[in-house]
Amino acid sequence: MRLSIRSRTALRSLAVLAAASLTAVGLAACSTGSSGSAGSATSGTITWEGWTPTDTATAKLYIDAFEKQYPKIKVDYKLVNISDWVAALRPALASGKGPDVFDMQPGAYVTQFKGFAEDLTPVAKSALGADWKSKIAPIGISGLTASGKLTAMPVGSVYAGMLWINKDLFDKYGLTPPTTLAEWVKDCQVFKSHGQGCFVQGAAQEGFDQDTLQSIANSVQPGLWTKASKGEAKWNDPGIVKTLSIWQQLFSDGIMQSGAVGAQQYPDANNQFLTGKYAMVMMGTWYTQYTTKNALTAALGSAGTSGAKTFPMLPIAFPDVAGAGNTSEMYGDADFGLAVSTKSQHRAAAETFVKWMTTSKIGQQVVADQLNDIPSLNGVTPDFTKIALVDPTSQSQPVKDLIAKTATVTEPREALLSTDVQNAILAAAQSTATNKATPQAAANTLQQAAVAAGQTFK
Amino acid sequence: MTETSLRRPGRRPPSSRGEAATLRARRRRLQPRGLPWIIPALVLSGGLIYYCIGYTGYISTLDWDGISPDPTSVGANNFVRILQDPVFWQAVQHTVLFFIVTFVLQTFLGFLFAVLLHSRIKVAVVYKVIVFVPVVLAPAIMAPVFRQLFAPDGELNWVLQHVGLGALAQPWIGQTSTALPVIMVITIWQWTGLTFVLYFAAMGQVDESVLEAARIDGAGNIRTIANIIWPDVRGTTVALAILSAIGALKTFDIPWLVTIAGPNEATEFLGTYIYKMTIQLDHVGYAAALSVILLIVALVMAIGFQLAGREREVRD
Repeated sequence: MRLSIRSRTALRSLAVLAAASLTAVGLAACSTGSSGSAGSATSGTITWEGWTPTDTATAKLYIDAFEKQYPKIKVDYKLVNISDWVAALRPALASGKGPDVFDMQPGAYVTQFKGFAEDLTPVAKSALGADWKSKIAPIGISGLTASGKLTAMPVGSVYAGMLWINKDLFDKYGLTPPTTLAEWVKDCQVFKSHGQGCFVQGAAQEGFDQDTLQSIANSVQPGLWTKASKGEAKWNDPGIVKTLSIWQQLFSDGIMQSGAVGAQQYPDANNQFLTGKYAMVMMGTWYTQYTTKNALTAALGSAGTSGAKTFPMLPIAFPDVAGAGNTSEMYGDADFGLAVSTKSQHRAAAETFVKWMTTSKIGQQVVADQLNDIPSLNGVTPDFTKIALVDPTSQSQPVKDLIAKTATVTEPREALLSTDVQNAILAAAQSTATNKATPQAAANTLQQAAVAAGQTFK
Repeated sequence: MTETSLRRPGRRPPSSRGEAATLRARRRRLQPRGLPWIIPALVLSGGLIYYCIGYTGYISTLDWDGISPDPTSVGANNFVRILQDPVFWQAVQHTVLFFIVTFVLQTFLGFLFAVLLHSRIKVAVVYKVIVFVPVVLAPAIMAPVFRQLFAPDGELNWVLQHVGLGALAQPWIGQTSTALPVIMVITIWQWTGLTFVLYFAAMGQVDESVLEAARIDGAGNIRTIANIIWPDVRGTTVALAILSAIGALKTFDIPWLVTIAGPNEATEFLGTYIYKMTIQLDHVGYAAALSVILLIVALVMAIGFQLAGREREVRD
């Protein structure tokens, strides 16, 4: 092949251009600078990504109510499974192509993503005044604040430390909810004798294992888990060893379902409880939403049983598994806050949405009425005259009691734990559940891992 | 090529040495050099592959979460920690076991299918499609199917209970003893089709006359397969061994999607451990050091297999 001098020059120019373009693309991809313009506060299209609300129907209710008030702002919600959350969000934010608004959870997520989140203190002040902190649940502010920066505005809080039961199944077999370990074992034996699953847990996921372990620890010695989380007690404290021992018993005594350590809480355990395959599950206050007809029907559809019969589910206290007479206290964090990306091209519109969701009475009322979160704005409570429960007779009072009880909760759920410590807790839980380690050995390993992860102890 | 074209008949030969030199110089100017042509590919491969490898090597010397602007240099400390990390050695053990089992069984099944389908079998095309289809199915699509199939209340246990083997029913992916074998079974199911296709193609190259001569000499089917076909497709076997070894080192999708590398790290591989360290735990420097080790092991294995294959060929 031969070329003229002109075409040869052109070829070289093309090659240089290609090289320069590739370099430019590479540099652009590596760029971490924030975008300049904040855009309009009353118009535009913004994207919101989150792992919760866990069903898009609930998110749509929030968005519809917002768009009614701000018709020129369109919000697109993208639901990401919690197990994929970090993997999905991290590169999206780093590349600058991430969402305008994203969910934020106290604890590890704040540490990981605080660099991509705007300080929303000015937004809070402009919406609620200088004393804004007194108008929001304190548990939401502390967990979402890092290095003096409010990384996200809390939408609502969640609490755990209770079990949810399928009332129809308990009635069917004439059983009463368990209050001790022995009763729990007995209930499970009866359920199993009828070919009915008893308790289901996705023990492959650390967050939910922590809930069960924290509840057991509260039964052994109230507040011990929080002390260990703060470094005021060691993870191989005799109380934690006993906690792991009781956890191991849940498997050996047949309370946990077969293969629990290979199951995930979402979707496995969630779907199996909702479809009636199991009678009990360890979930928190976010499950209150499924006491309503609408949310439960939608969830049953998502669980692959469209048209299935709804059933009344009830919250019960976590059994006194240690037999020490301690009723397990609940613990909680801000479920999620809404963060505004520093790289958003529509920051002003994003702030409008976040402000409306988290500080306006209308927005918070919509949140409250879904029963997915306990609203963070003080004074807003669910309007039960508008909420259609599956079975108001049996559910109304337990649900109201549960919501009222959350006001007294002081123990954090995950906010104090780093990802490394959470990973070590999962390892301890799984190694004892599979009998690969004794509770004492697992607790010792957990303590070593926590020290290696930088946790300091008194 | 240039010289040939210069001596083409009908062309006037250069009248003098100086004129010929001028002509050659002019031709050199007119002919494009290779460099401009390979620059885009060079930039792509150099920039996107070798630069990234070098950058990963650099990151492996840092204590870094992948985001913060002030990583700490730790030298070779990440590599020292890896060598003392029991999860790393568990992942290595799983990788070695996984490679041996999957390679042996895939080779056996792929070779067997290839031999059978080279015989005069009816509706061979249908069998070929059935054997090859798993290769084109994405693991992400198949993973939920296998999670359901091997679940405690899944189809496998259902079948076992309905054929009188209920005692064998167990939570296949929910216990450490069976989770890794399940991952191996899925992998064998998925990749046997590729092994089969490569052997099938290689067997098509076996000299018919040699096979006929063997039959005339009284060799039966087994003898022909063992002494003629199997040695003849050795190149394919070596290539498959390299692919399987590298595949085992890169294993990520099936164990992550089916068992999340658990339970209790029973299906932890280097790939899943790197992912966990990078994405879930933010130890990007440590994960980069793991990646460097993975790269070195992959290169050493590939070179080892190549050399072993060549030595064998030379000896033969």
